Amino acid sequence: MDETTPVDMKTGEFADGVTFHGRWQEFLPIALTNLLLIIVTLGIYRFWAKTRERKYLWSRTQFIDERLEWAGTGKEMFIGFLIVMAIFVPILLFFQFGLQALILRGQGVLASVLAIGLYLALFYLAGLALFRALRYRLSRTYWHGIRGGSDDGGWSYAGSAMLKYIIGFVTLGFLVPWAMVKLWRERWGKMSFGPYAFEPGDGPAVQGLIGRYLLIYATPVLWAILVFALGMGTIFTAGSNPDPRVMAGMMGTFFLAVIGFYALFSLVSLAYYAVFMRKVVGEMTLGNLSFAFNARTMDWVKLILGNIALVVFTLGFGIMYLGYRHWSFYVRHLEVQGEVDLAALTQSTTRIRSDAEGLADAFDIGAI
Amino acid sequence: MTNAWLYDGESALRRSVTLGVRDGTLEIAGEDGETRVAPADLVFIESRTEERVYGRKDVLGWRLGVPEPVADEIAALLPNAAHYGGWIDRIGLWRASAIGLAVSAAVLFAVYQLPHWLAPLVPDRVMKSYGDAMVGDFGGKFCAGPGGQAALDALTRRLAPNVKGLNVRVVDLPVVNAAALPGGNIVIFNELLKEAKSPEEFSGVLAHEIAHIEHRDVAEAMVRELGLGLVLTTLGGDVAGNVHGLLSLSYSRGAEGAADAESIAMMNRARISPAPTAGFFERLAKSEDVIGGADMLVYLSSHPVSKGRAAAFRKGAAKGTAYTPALSRDEWDALVDICHNDPDRQD
Repeated sequence: MDETTPVDMKTGEFADGVTFHGRWQEFLPIALTNLLLIIVTLGIYRFWAKTRERKYLWSRTQFIDERLEWAGTGKEMFIGFLIVMAIFVPILLFFQFGLQALILRGQGVLASVLAIGLYLALFYLAGLALFRALRYRLSRTYWHGIRGGSDDGGWSYAGSAMLKYIIGFVTLGFLVPWAMVKLWRERWGKMSFGPYAFEPGDGPAVQGLIGRYLLIYATPVLWAILVFALGMGTIFTAGSNPDPRVMAGMMGTFFLAVIGFYALFSLVSLAYYAVFMRKVVGEMTLGNLSFAFNARTMDWVKLILGNIALVVFTLGFGIMYLGYRHWSFYVRHLEVQGEVDLAALTQSTTRIRSDAEGLADAFDIGAI
Repeated sequence: MTNAWLYDGESALRRSVTLGVRDGTLEIAGEDGETRVAPADLVFIESRTEERVYGRKDVLGWRLGVPEPVADEIAALLPNAAHYGGWIDRIGLWRASAIGLAVSAAVLFAVYQLPHWLAPLVPDRVMKSYGDAMVGDFGGKFCAGPGGQAALDALTRRLAPNVKGLNVRVVDLPVVNAAALPGGNIVIFNELLKEAKSPEEFSGVLAHEIAHIEHRDVAEAMVRELGLGLVLTTLGGDVAGNVHGLLSLSYSRGAEGAADAESIAMMNRARISPAPTAGFFERLAKSEDVIGGADMLVYLSSHPVSKGRAAAFRKGAAKGTAYTPALSRDEWDALVDICHNDPDRQD
């Protein structure tokens, strides 16, 4: 962009490039009618419900000077779902009946080979699903009339994801952070918006992550220290005192300690995930834009506890607000810096595919 | 003249345009000339504060922002706002919900009724292979004390002279129960014979199981229990994996009532009094409190005894009918001792 570019052809510098303008009161009619229509259609409306929710969330998300627009349709999501069901139902039926029949006929070896093959295939499809969900969302997201997308089918990404997670698994999980960062970069490196490709960064993959990740392995030790520090050490001597009241007290302490373990484990995992997200998003650029993500561990903890409280205290209705909460969380913590040359931001030439996110839906995974 | 803004879907630049109407089309005039768009090509995108956004079906990313209020002549060319999608917008949310509710209720009813509709379609061949597999599961537990089977067969023939292919056997298991299995098989558990005080009491239970077979309740329960698995065996799949748990087949309350009514009719036709069976049910119901033993409760759990049930049998006895004993004293003794006297019994 040179000095002569007119002012209205570029966006200026903004302190916070992404802003969420949604209000929960404004979303309430959408949540209520979505729930009503989902119930009376035995769940089939959920694709249209998801579309309405996204139309609202996207339209309340301001990116620099203009709001986003969700251009996906419920119909294409429904069709995507039907296609995936056509693939999955035979596989599941085979799992349920075919394998049993093979074992009963004494073909145990063949059955186990087939079962392992099927598990690997499902593993592969899960990677493919994640890639395609991201591609679908970018291709239906418009800003200034311009959309994103990818011309890659995700086939090689899915293979790479399967391989990297197997490597992570056989190294007892130590290479999982490496796999996560590498796969994030692979995924986003194949995505684009308008004419610009996302540049996901190429520094050392696990720099800054490994400390928090190792903390997850240390959880049992941390937990034991905590248990002793809080004077709950008696649980290790449970059973030595036959007095039922003492036993009951010990059982209570024991359950408290078990819950404490899960809480601690979740906290340490979130601490890792928080630093992971800050790293991978912070490395990304698109054209002259650079991104940052500023959610800290406590922000994630508040998000999760808030979700639980919301769902519990609304007797489940709060589920309708989880998508809203997650989107607004991401938007509030995302930062964008730089400027966009609007004249150079031309329409994406990537193909628009119609598979929507049926596959991701089948695995119940999101796009990020 | 209405001022508006336009993204052409080619570049991200927002252009200022003016809108007009010419020959029933929307005329959009900007710096680089004029374009006309037929109203049919326009789609509603969204309402924003103080403006509405429209798109074009034939150009992805093309967006026209029209400030409110929109002049009437231009508004006439623009499509209506969409809220819920598709036909729900056309007929209204409440009417759509009511239709949805009605259709969903019909679908759920159909799913609930499906086993009843499908039961007659289950081939006899499949029923027989299931029955054989289940009967085979009892292995050597069938009792064959002298005269017992003959008495049982005689009673079965008398109760149901027109039902073909019935195979009633007594199994030596300490359970107060009887079960109709696929393929015309009926299994009587030994303990039930001991619990019955007379052949008439027992006849009611036997007739009840025969009625389940006559009504194809067994096939219906199998469709309900096995679902798709049954379809697969119909197409030539394996039976063995499915047999487990079929003994606990349960029937709907309606099917139980119908089986009772049929069994009372059966007994009357055979001139066996249905009244004593009422006593059997009453003792069972009482034993729930008195004995508290699990044995007795088995029959209750698969055949819930209501007060009405015993009463139906009691009332089922027609006045003035010359009832005859279900079995002679000797036959009944042979039947009750069918397991005790069995020469092959392994214990």
